[in-house]
Amino acid sequence: MASYFARRLLLMIPTFIGVTVIVFGITRLVPGGPVEKELMAIQSALAGGEGGAGTTMVGTELITDKLRKQLEQSFYLDKPFYEAYLLWLGDVVRLDLGESFATKEPVWTRIKERFPISLTFGLTGFILSYLICIPLGIAKALRHAGVFDLATSIVVFVGYSIPGWAIGLLLLVFLAGDKYWDVFPLGGTHSDTFASLPGLAQLIEDPDVVVDANGELVREKMSLAARFLDRTYYMILPIFCYMMGSFATLTILTKNSLLDNLSQDYVRTAFAKGLAPMRVIFLHTLRNSLIPLATGLGHALSVLMAGSLLIEQIFNIPGIGLLGYNALVGFDFTVVMGVLAINTVLLMFGNVFSDMLYALIDPRIRFE
Amino acid sequence: MERDENAAKNPDGAAGDRAPLLSVRDLATYFRVEGGVAKAVDGISFDVMPGEVLGIVGESGSGKSVASLSILRLIPDPPGHIARGEIRYGGRDLLKLSYQEMRSIRGNEIAMIFQEPMTALNPVFTIGFQLIETLRQHHPQMSKQEAFERAVLRLEQVKIPDAAKRMRDHPHQFSGGMRQRVMIAMALCCNPQLLIADEPTTALDVTTQAQIMELMLTLRARREGGSIILITHDLAVVAETCRRVIVMYGGKIQEVGTVDQIFSSPRHPYTIGLLESLPSAQRGKDRLHTIPGNVPYIMDLPTGCKFCTRCEKVIDRCHQEEPELHQLKNGQLVRCHLVEDEAVKVSGDMPSTTTSAPAP
Repeated sequence: MASYFARRLLLMIPTFIGVTVIVFGITRLVPGGPVEKELMAIQSALAGGEGGAGTTMVGTELITDKLRKQLEQSFYLDKPFYEAYLLWLGDVVRLDLGESFATKEPVWTRIKERFPISLTFGLTGFILSYLICIPLGIAKALRHAGVFDLATSIVVFVGYSIPGWAIGLLLLVFLAGDKYWDVFPLGGTHSDTFASLPGLAQLIEDPDVVVDANGELVREKMSLAARFLDRTYYMILPIFCYMMGSFATLTILTKNSLLDNLSQDYVRTAFAKGLAPMRVIFLHTLRNSLIPLATGLGHALSVLMAGSLLIEQIFNIPGIGLLGYNALVGFDFTVVMGVLAINTVLLMFGNVFSDMLYALIDPRIRFE
Repeated sequence: MERDENAAKNPDGAAGDRAPLLSVRDLATYFRVEGGVAKAVDGISFDVMPGEVLGIVGESGSGKSVASLSILRLIPDPPGHIARGEIRYGGRDLLKLSYQEMRSIRGNEIAMIFQEPMTALNPVFTIGFQLIETLRQHHPQMSKQEAFERAVLRLEQVKIPDAAKRMRDHPHQFSGGMRQRVMIAMALCCNPQLLIADEPTTALDVTTQAQIMELMLTLRARREGGSIILITHDLAVVAETCRRVIVMYGGKIQEVGTVDQIFSSPRHPYTIGLLESLPSAQRGKDRLHTIPGNVPYIMDLPTGCKFCTRCEKVIDRCHQEEPELHQLKNGQLVRCHLVEDEAVKVSGDMPSTTTSAPAP
C-alpha cells in the first residue's frame, strides 16, 4: 500500500507539468499580453499629456523599447516558450510564484490575502452541506417514496437545476434590495461597523469603549460574538448559493447508498441477531453507506482555494474566483499561473487523500 | 373415522408425549405487490420437536424461506406481513410478542443462518466485532474480555484455525466456507434452542457442504434439545441429515413424512417428481427426469391444487378444488386428491405433523 501511494505521489509530477504546460502555452498564444497592455496604458497617458506631436512619437518609442525589455524579463517573455516554461517551473519549485504585473506585489501575497475568505466560505459550505445532506439523505431513505421524500426531492432538484449565481440574483432582488423585503445585506463580507444586524447592539459589551470620540463604533473593540454574528449575517445568502449545486448530489448519494445497503443480506443478519433497529441502521448500514461519500472528503483540501467567479461578483466578495478572473482578463499571467499551480497541487493531493480515506474506511480496499 | 394417533410413530425417537419446541399453526405470510396480494406462505402448520432436525424442501418460490423468516418476524414490512397464524414457542405466541421481546429471542433463543455467506456478514466490521456484538446484545452484563473468549471458543468449535488471531480479520479475508463457519459460530454463540438454517450450503462447494452440515449436526448433538430447521432444495442433504421432511409447493405444505417415507414411498406427485429429478447411479444414462414447466409466478397460482398445472396425474377435480391435507395409515401427510380414499382428512387447525401437539 505504501508503494502504491508513493507511486501516486510521483505521478503528480507529470500531471502537474501537463496541466501547467497547457495553460502556460495558452498565455503565449493569446493575442495581447501584459506587455502590450502596459505599453498601451503608458502610450495613452503620454498621448493625453503631450497632445500627440511628431517628436514625442520617437520619445515614446524609446521609452517603450526600454520598458518592453524590462517587462518581458519579469515573465521570461523574452525567452523561447520551452525555456521560459522551465524557468517558471524552476521558480515554482523554489516556491517563488513571481510578481503580479498589475500590482507589482508577489503573487503569493496576493493569493494569500484571499485565503481567509476562501476558507470561510469553502469550509462553511463544505461542513454545512455534509451536515445537512447526510441527515437529509438518511431521512429520505427511511421514508423512501413517502411525502417527505418526494417533497424534499423536488426542492433539492429544483435547486440543482438552477445555477448558484441565478439563485443569488433572485435572492438579492427579493431579500436584499428595498423593493421587496430588506432582510439581508446586498454584498460584502461584513459591515463597516460590524453592527449591521438588528439587535447586535446588545452584544456590544460596553458602548463607551467601542464608540470613539465622533460617536462611531470601533470594530476592533467589538466583542467576538458580535463580529462573528455580523460575518454570519453577510454570509448567509452567498453560502446558500455556493451550496445549492452540491446539495442534490450529496443528498441523493447518501439516500441511494443507504437504501442500497438496507436491502443487503448483512442487514437481515444484524436484525436476526436481535440488534436494535437504530444500531442496525446507524452503525451497520450507515458505515457502509458512507463509503462513497468519504471519497469526497479528500477534496476538503481545496477549500483553501474555494471560490466562484459569478457568486463572488454578485455578492461583491473579494475571493479567489474574482482574483483569478481579473488576472485573466487583465493579462496578469503570473497570477493566473500561480492560482493554477496552487489549485492543481491541492486537487492532486485531494485525490490521493480521498483514496487513502477510502482504504481507511473500507477494509476491503487495498491498493497494490 | 378416527385419526390413528399411534400410527404416527415419532420419527426422532423422542418420547411421543414431549411438547414441541416450536409449533406453527396456520401461518400465512402475504406480500402486497402490484396487482394484488402474493400469498407466499398460505396456512402452514408444523411442529419442531426438541432435538429434531426438520427438513423443509421445495423449489425456489415455494415459500420455504418466507416461512422461516416469518418465524423470527424478519419479513420486511412493507411489502410483506404475517396475515394470520400462531407461532408457539416456550408457551408464548411469537406473533403476539412486543418488538422488544421478539428482539430478545432473535439470535438468543432462535438463531438463523442464511444462504449467502459472502454477503451475510457486514463487510466493514471484523468478525470479532460481529460475534462479540451478538453476545453482548443478549448478555449485557458480560465483560468484553469474557465475550471475546466466548467468541474465540465458538470460532474454535467451528474449526477456524488460529481463532483468536482471526477475530481481527474482516469477512473478505475468509473463504466462502470459512465465512459460513463464522455465521454458524455467530448463530450458536448464545446457545439458541432452535437454529434455522436457510440453504446453509447452497452457495458452497460440494466438499465444503458436507463439512458444514457435519459441523452443524455435531454442534447440535452436544446440546440437549437443540433443534434445527433445515431449509433446502437439496434432497441429498435432507436424506443425510433429517429425520422428518416437509415438502412445500405454492406456499402450502404438500407432503410430510419421515425421510424413509418420503424417499421410499412418496405419495404426492410433486414429491415423486422431485425425487425422480435426482440423478442416480442405477438409472444409468437415460435423460434425467424433470418436472414439466416452471414454478408458476406467485400471483398466477391455480385455483385448485397448486401443482395441477405441472402434475402428470392431474384429474379434472384438481383444477377446481384444492385438496386438503390427508393422513395416511403410516402417519404420512399428503395433500392430493388421489390419496383421499385411503387416508383421513386432517382438519385445518390440526397439526400437520406426525406427532400430536397439545396446545399449551
